[in-house]
Amino acid sequence: MPSDPAKDFSRNELSAVFMSRLIQDGENLTVGAAMAVPRAAVLLAHLHHGPNMSVQYARTRTNLFDVPVLEPFQFLTDWRGSKWAESYYIHEEAYDAITKVTDCFFVGGLQIDQYGNSNLIGIGRDYDRLKFRGPGAVGTCTLSTMVKRYYIYLNHHNRRTLVEKCDFISAYGWGRGGPDARTKWGLKGGGPELCLTPLGVFDFEPETKKMRLKYLHPGVTVEEIIENTGFELIIPPEIPLTPPPTENELTILRQRVDPLGHLR
Amino acid sequence: MSSQLKRKELVVSEEEACRCIEDGMTISIGGFITSSHPMALVRQLIRMGRKNLTVIGAASAGLEVDLLIGAGCVKKVIAPYVGAEFLAPVGPFFRQYAEQGKIKVWECDEGQYYAGLRAAAQNLPYMPTKAGVGTSFPEINPDLKIYQDPVQGETLLAVPAIKPDVALIFAAFGDHFGNVQFVGAGFGDRAHHRAADKTIVQVEKIIPNEEIRKHPYQTAFQGAAAVVRAPFGSHPFASPGFYLEDIPHIQEYVQAATALTKENNPKLFDRYLEKYVFGPATHLDYLDVIGAKRLFSLFEY
Repeated sequence: MPSDPAKDFSRNELSAVFMSRLIQDGENLTVGAAMAVPRAAVLLAHLHHGPNMSVQYARTRTNLFDVPVLEPFQFLTDWRGSKWAESYYIHEEAYDAITKVTDCFFVGGLQIDQYGNSNLIGIGRDYDRLKFRGPGAVGTCTLSTMVKRYYIYLNHHNRRTLVEKCDFISAYGWGRGGPDARTKWGLKGGGPELCLTPLGVFDFEPETKKMRLKYLHPGVTVEEIIENTGFELIIPPEIPLTPPPTENELTILRQRVDPLGHLR
Repeated sequence: MSSQLKRKELVVSEEEACRCIEDGMTISIGGFITSSHPMALVRQLIRMGRKNLTVIGAASAGLEVDLLIGAGCVKKVIAPYVGAEFLAPVGPFFRQYAEQGKIKVWECDEGQYYAGLRAAAQNLPYMPTKAGVGTSFPEINPDLKIYQDPVQGETLLAVPAIKPDVALIFAAFGDHFGNVQFVGAGFGDRAHHRAADKTIVQVEKIIPNEEIRKHPYQTAFQGAAAVVRAPFGSHPFASPGFYLEDIPHIQEYVQAATALTKENNPKLFDRYLEKYVFGPATHLDYLDVIGAKRLFSLFEY
């Protein structure tokens, strides 16, 4: 039966399906750089339940709902994806009205702190002599400031990445916490709602805005999460398992979004 | 009616086009990460020994900026990202030179970057954004100023004008009079052109003016000061509608740059520069080095 829970799936597939359920039909999304799992999530949402979505694809805007199988791409700029284009994505124009092109997005980081701030600038105390120069914020500062809501996605869950306080903040999540963390600056967007890692799913406690464990991925223990987190997480008394994919979602993911099995 | 007056034709060699670029100038380089960079012009700048350049990379930039840094041409970088996706998450020379204070990085994100270009294009001292309020940007980049707006009292970030002396842009087609057409969206290149004092365009193919007049909607901008014909001119990066990234070549570069920056071994990078930048006198000589078999293997289909 298509809506039966699936039994055999990888952690990346679990994450992609979970994230795809966060995206609603009719939303406009971007498929970002170096984020294979969020990319799969956006495209799965589109093909599974989003006939009215539009996606940014190969620097074009398009609707891929009726495309039987999406060809894999290695680079954001792979022009072969443009054959589906309905319009072109002129970069500076997107920033003229960013909320018109992006309803939500996924951000990573060299560091993410307990209030969901992200650091893509670098690691070190002294900006002029960084220990580790990062890639740069790309568009994450503007997106995290303006967009309705966003999600943090990390490829690694360890103490180096999940820190008490980012050395530098390039994307403002919940600042130093508190219910007015964003409103006191007049930030336009809604802020980060969830943080997803290979170990589980985390949200932000409404009053303090501190990161809180929400779901455990199957096979992961609370001890493992605490040991690999560089700050004190809020741990609720009962933690459910991350909801599994359905057979239908997994089928669409494996046959149409990720035919080469990169997520497996 | 004078028969002496003639519309000026602007197609020149890469050497002649780059003559106007002097040490210490601010240049912008168009494209996006692993696509659409004017590499014939970039290599020419290195051959000319240009120094102390402020390089406005694209939003977002790739290893073309990294190569200029490694070749010793750059004093300051303005770019929201310098890397090559999975091939190099951060440009190796960008990383090392920034960590050691050998280049200045003018930290910004894409939205702030375009605000700065817009200010330059409109001849204004700055453009405001909301992006950056509450973050580390104004602390680490003192040119970005937090202020209260005079209309509604909101806390905003003022991004000062980012102005290229010369914009270097890669495009698919140009005609003899400086009309430029992209295959695809052209990334943020129009914003570079609007902000710059002067624009040099490097194209895959020169097309006759009649072709431009058939589809003027496709003209992304007019007014390039010089047009350089350089087939496969974005190599090793991609050219929409023409060819894909040359992954082995980019890996060769990354390996050479990493050997120097991580292991202090300059041999591979010296060899890379000799083989691909200083050895070939012109872009067509460079194409001879890469070879027809490799070039044609990069076609999209």
